[in-house]
Amino acid sequence: MSAIQEGQRGQRDGVVIDNLSLSFGNTEVLRGVNLEIAEGEFFAFLGPSGSGKSTLLRAVAGFGPKPRGRILINGQDIANLPPWKRDVGMVFQSYALWPHFTVRRNIAFGLEERRVARAEIARRVDEALDLVGLRHLAERRPAQLSGGQQQRIALARTIVVRPKVLLLDEPLSNLDANLRVQMRREIRELQQKLQLTTIFVTHDQEEANTTSDRMAVLDNGIIQQVGTPMELYDQPANLFVAGFLGTANVLPEQGRHLVFRPQALAIAAADTPAIDGCRRLAGTVRHLEFLGSIIRYGVEVEEQLILVDDPHRRGQPPFPPGKSVVLDIPEGQITRLPAEVN
Amino acid sequence: MPASGSSSLRTPAIVGLLIALFLVLFLVFPVLRVIQVAFQDPHSGAPTLINFVDFFGNSLFRESFVNSFYVATMSVLMATVIAVPLSYFTTRFNFGGAALIQTLGIIPLIMPPFVGAVAMQLLFGANGSVNLLLDRYFGFTIPFMEGLNGVIFVESIHYFPFILINLSAALNNIDRAMEESAQNLGCSGFRLFRRIVFPLAMPGFVAGAALVFIKVFDDLGTPLLLNVNTMLAPQAYLRISSVGISDPMGYVISVILVGFSLLSLWFSLLALKGKDYATTQKGGGGLMRRDLRPWEKAGCYAVVILILLLVLSPHIGLSLLSIGTIWSYAVLPDGYTLQHYVTVFSHASQYISNTLLYAGLAALIDVILATAIVYVVWRTGLPGRKWLDYGASAALAVPGVVLGIGYLRTYHSFTVPFVDLPLASWWVIIVVAMTIRRLPYALRACTAAIQQVSVALEEAAENLGATKMRTVRRIVVPLMTGGILAGFVTSFATAAVELSATIMLVARESDAPLAYGIYEFMQSAAGRGPGAALGMLAVFFVGLATYISHRIIERGHSQNSAAAIVAEEQQ
Amino acid sequence: MSKKSALFTLAAGALAILATPVLAAEGNLTIVTSFPKDLTAVFATAFEKKNPGLKVEVLNKNTNAGIKYLEETAGSNTSDIFWASAPDAFEVLKGDKLLVQYRPKAAGIPDKVGAFPINDPDGYYVGFAASGYGIMWNTRYMEAKKLPVAKEWADLKDPVYFGHVGMSSPSRSGTTHLTVETVLQGLGWEEGWAEWKAIAGNFKTVSERSFGVPDGVNSGQFGIGIVIDFFGLSSKASGFPVDFLYPTVTTLVPGNVAIVKNAPNQSAAEEFVEYLLSVEGQELLLDPKIMRLPVNPEIYAKAPAGFPNPFTDSSIGAAVKFDLDLSKSRYNVVSALFDVMITYRMDDLVAATKAIHAAETALQGKENPAAAALVAEARGLVGKVPIDAATASSAEFNGIFKKKRKKAEDQATGRQAEIEQAWDVEVRANYGKARELAEQAKAML
Repeated sequence: MSAIQEGQRGQRDGVVIDNLSLSFGNTEVLRGVNLEIAEGEFFAFLGPSGSGKSTLLRAVAGFGPKPRGRILINGQDIANLPPWKRDVGMVFQSYALWPHFTVRRNIAFGLEERRVARAEIARRVDEALDLVGLRHLAERRPAQLSGGQQQRIALARTIVVRPKVLLLDEPLSNLDANLRVQMRREIRELQQKLQLTTIFVTHDQEEANTTSDRMAVLDNGIIQQVGTPMELYDQPANLFVAGFLGTANVLPEQGRHLVFRPQALAIAAADTPAIDGCRRLAGTVRHLEFLGSIIRYGVEVEEQLILVDDPHRRGQPPFPPGKSVVLDIPEGQITRLPAEVN
Repeated sequence: MPASGSSSLRTPAIVGLLIALFLVLFLVFPVLRVIQVAFQDPHSGAPTLINFVDFFGNSLFRESFVNSFYVATMSVLMATVIAVPLSYFTTRFNFGGAALIQTLGIIPLIMPPFVGAVAMQLLFGANGSVNLLLDRYFGFTIPFMEGLNGVIFVESIHYFPFILINLSAALNNIDRAMEESAQNLGCSGFRLFRRIVFPLAMPGFVAGAALVFIKVFDDLGTPLLLNVNTMLAPQAYLRISSVGISDPMGYVISVILVGFSLLSLWFSLLALKGKDYATTQKGGGGLMRRDLRPWEKAGCYAVVILILLLVLSPHIGLSLLSIGTIWSYAVLPDGYTLQHYVTVFSHASQYISNTLLYAGLAALIDVILATAIVYVVWRTGLPGRKWLDYGASAALAVPGVVLGIGYLRTYHSFTVPFVDLPLASWWVIIVVAMTIRRLPYALRACTAAIQQVSVALEEAAENLGATKMRTVRRIVVPLMTGGILAGFVTSFATAAVELSATIMLVARESDAPLAYGIYEFMQSAAGRGPGAALGMLAVFFVGLATYISHRIIERGHSQNSAAAIVAEEQQ
Repeated sequence: MSKKSALFTLAAGALAILATPVLAAEGNLTIVTSFPKDLTAVFATAFEKKNPGLKVEVLNKNTNAGIKYLEETAGSNTSDIFWASAPDAFEVLKGDKLLVQYRPKAAGIPDKVGAFPINDPDGYYVGFAASGYGIMWNTRYMEAKKLPVAKEWADLKDPVYFGHVGMSSPSRSGTTHLTVETVLQGLGWEEGWAEWKAIAGNFKTVSERSFGVPDGVNSGQFGIGIVIDFFGLSSKASGFPVDFLYPTVTTLVPGNVAIVKNAPNQSAAEEFVEYLLSVEGQELLLDPKIMRLPVNPEIYAKAPAGFPNPFTDSSIGAAVKFDLDLSKSRYNVVSALFDVMITYRMDDLVAATKAIHAAETALQGKENPAAAALVAEARGLVGKVPIDAATASSAEFNGIFKKKRKKAEDQATGRQAEIEQAWDVEVRANYGKARELAEQAKAML
């Protein structure tokens, strides 16, 4: 068992954000954010750009304008500490590896700042390099590394100081698609191995889903909903969450909204008998997209387009555009949301 | 780089050759005409290196060399001490008047150094205001302006803006995550500056420092005004311009000045190789500006105000002189008057219009040449194209006196058709001298600008059927506008206070520019006040013109500021 | 001027360069001068007023740069008049065959002022005003530092003036050269140099420009300057708290004017020379900003009270009979010697002088022959000059410092740099030794 892992165990604790608000000048960017993140949890902040998710993460690290409210780590309020006294490790979107240092010196930096003994530094840097599998690159300069390698070094540089919390600010956005999938897995494995309390900021729903234990969806500086990825997908608390996490059909009904996913619907010829426990809608096929495993239909129902995902099997002809069809939704698949007052 | 067949090289080749011809005619050849004397036996005229042997065999010259080196190095250090806090405070803290500091900090550059030295002599001289006060109240004096230290004092105050501008630009270009990640890992305060910020801003600093070094090493006016003779530039000047004496040593020193300046340029290029961090950084986002605690703010203001007082002391002294009646062995002038300004306005308006015309033309030609050069260098495969860049940049290493004498020697026997004047005494030669001397500034600005224009944008235009020429005109030049204007501003502002070359070339008083006019006024007892008034007008007009061009640039939505440019000065 | 402002309003078009109208050659008179604007502007304006349609172009250069300019541009000369103080400068130009002979018609001007002939006997240049070197001081400075006024060159050797005196170098200023030469001729070669170095030991500065000296006195950077009279008189007239006097040993020399060879406007040039010598022109010299001694004795009747008149006051400039030929024979050698021994080695010289002063002060009122001998030896070393008078005037030796080889077979042995290096080594060693001896002497007391 490595020293980093041991160290991490000893300091387990969670993060509490208590009624945090923050403004840039006159613009309120965060409005009364409350969150509890458990020790060892992998937690994602998800939201569109401008939602305040990065600002929230930076507030935890101590960057940006001073917020109102409290940020507790290990029970201690750090909101008034300068960044260099917070002991939270942050990996930046641009990695921010210092070009004038070698990889080794980049990783050693935080330990040097903590006045760790020289021999100890060497040992822990090697260990961190091993952890990300890049020991052979120790003497290179950052400019000589690929994007994925830079990402790993940035990670190593942060975890080598054994921070109480690991903050990841869109760490995968500068990588290409294949590498992104691989890196998110690696990050998750590392987090599991070290049992690090981790906050991960992303605008990519799939990234959040695949890595995090729980996540918070932010919009307009307000936390819309907190929960596990599946909870949020299946029981969105509002239209924003429903629409942001995957595709959602929304039907207004008596001052409420009925929300259901395209794959929850069954499509059938207009003369098909009704099914018990299902709500039936009648409409006309307007277009269809063949996506391989499914066919996505756009069906016009009472002047509204409803998307339907129908599993595709060989030999089964699709419903052509103009064809009258019926759509059946099991009641249990429908989320009922109060109509929002805008 | 777009693939280029031999046929597509024809236009660049013609342009390149024309520019090369211009550089050879007005830079290389005149300079060679001057320095060839250094390689001739003083008596037989035969080619020889004996003069260089004499140079290094002469204890006075060795001492001068050491002094010049010492003064240049110390001036760089002093200038750094002034520039670093100013640039760091204004780029990293929320600090009232940061823009003001950045602007005021550049003002010393638009005053001829010798004018600044006159004013500083009155304030800081052995019996200047400061020392008179010190002596009266504390019974001691400080020799600010004596000997080599005086030269260092004046030079560092005059040239520190080169470091300020370059360093500020570099500090602004640093990805804020670079600093944040260091803070995140526990680093702060001076350690943060020393370990992360300064090393990352190093390219900008080295560029500015190299420029200061060369300028000080070559500067003639300041040591002469302070009566320091044991330095290389004054030795060269004194020996070249002595009555009736033909001493090849002046020319030998010129060769050494040029050579040493080229060497410093080369060293700074070497030092910067592979360290252009700004362009290798990704993403980034705006600057991190920290709020200051009240006592920190007070401290910063104290430092900044002290530095600005020091930096603006030439202007303070000059403005007092321009409205003072008699100022002699006294803390302040005996009385005040506006008469000097009346004198200047009634006699000297042609200095101002000449200067605006000459410097304007020179800056215009500079940006045209610079744009053509950077296009040929960066966008064509013309063989030897890099030499255009080197050639034009080398002008930085040629002392103005050498260029002036070279023009006289080369072009006095060449009569311009229609005008019926020798080229060397036609006012246009002054414009040419300014153009050559300030071309490196425009070149740097344009280089930075073209590097920001993606080749894909040009390829897109060509793909849509635009010819090379039309692509340059409709795509490249408009996209470079910010950089080009920035180059124009710097070239203009610095050309307007040029004296060392023009003093040799002014053939009629009616052709004289401002700096010459000030120099002339300052040569008589009654002329000190009017000279100072003219100096204030110079600062005002050049400052105004610079400000207006700045505004035009800002309207053009460019990221390049005039600052960012001088700035890029031989990175 | 008008062409340029018109062009300027056309807004700086690069193309406009070619459209610049041609200047009419007949209407212009181009004057190369070392005189300050205060002097030239008065004459130029008056002369233009007298000759409507004539435009005077004044080209201000210091004497040396002026010579350089005429030499460099001789191939296609554009200057009509050369107008400066030092006769030596005119001698150089005359030697280079860059001047033409002209004998003015103006009446009432004597042959000599003091002991100096007013006009060039060969007629290449003409004197229009007299000036002599003297001592200028800042009254506030002298009062503050409690310094007595120095009346003779020898007074300036006094240790009380240590660090208070400024002067220009003979290689920079033709008139300074004259002053140096005057003292050398008055006291003899060795004695003269010892005198100069004893004075120079009190120098605060050796200024590059001759105007640097009055400028320093005016602003109070140093208290006493060795300057030509009009600098002192015009500074005083401009209101500065300064004063000026002639020591006994001074030479009144004419300020001169000459017509440049191949002048584009010879007739206007001749007229200008005549104007300078006319009663009207001579009176202009009494303008408070100019203050030069007219060469027409009648003008002095209109001068302000206290204005020196060399034609009636025989004490001015009569003590030395200035030998222009002797001066010419060693012109460049004297300049080079002054620079090597004084200008460039100020620090060493001042340090040695300081040590000597200290020793002399300590010696005062004490009987110590050994120490006194050491101090005397130190003085001797400081005053020493590397070459004797005969060598200094030898044509062969001067050839080394000569501007141009007249003929290809003109050969000189040795190079200026070589010789200066030898002098420098010797002089520095002497200053160093002198300082040591003086310190030794002081230690004995």
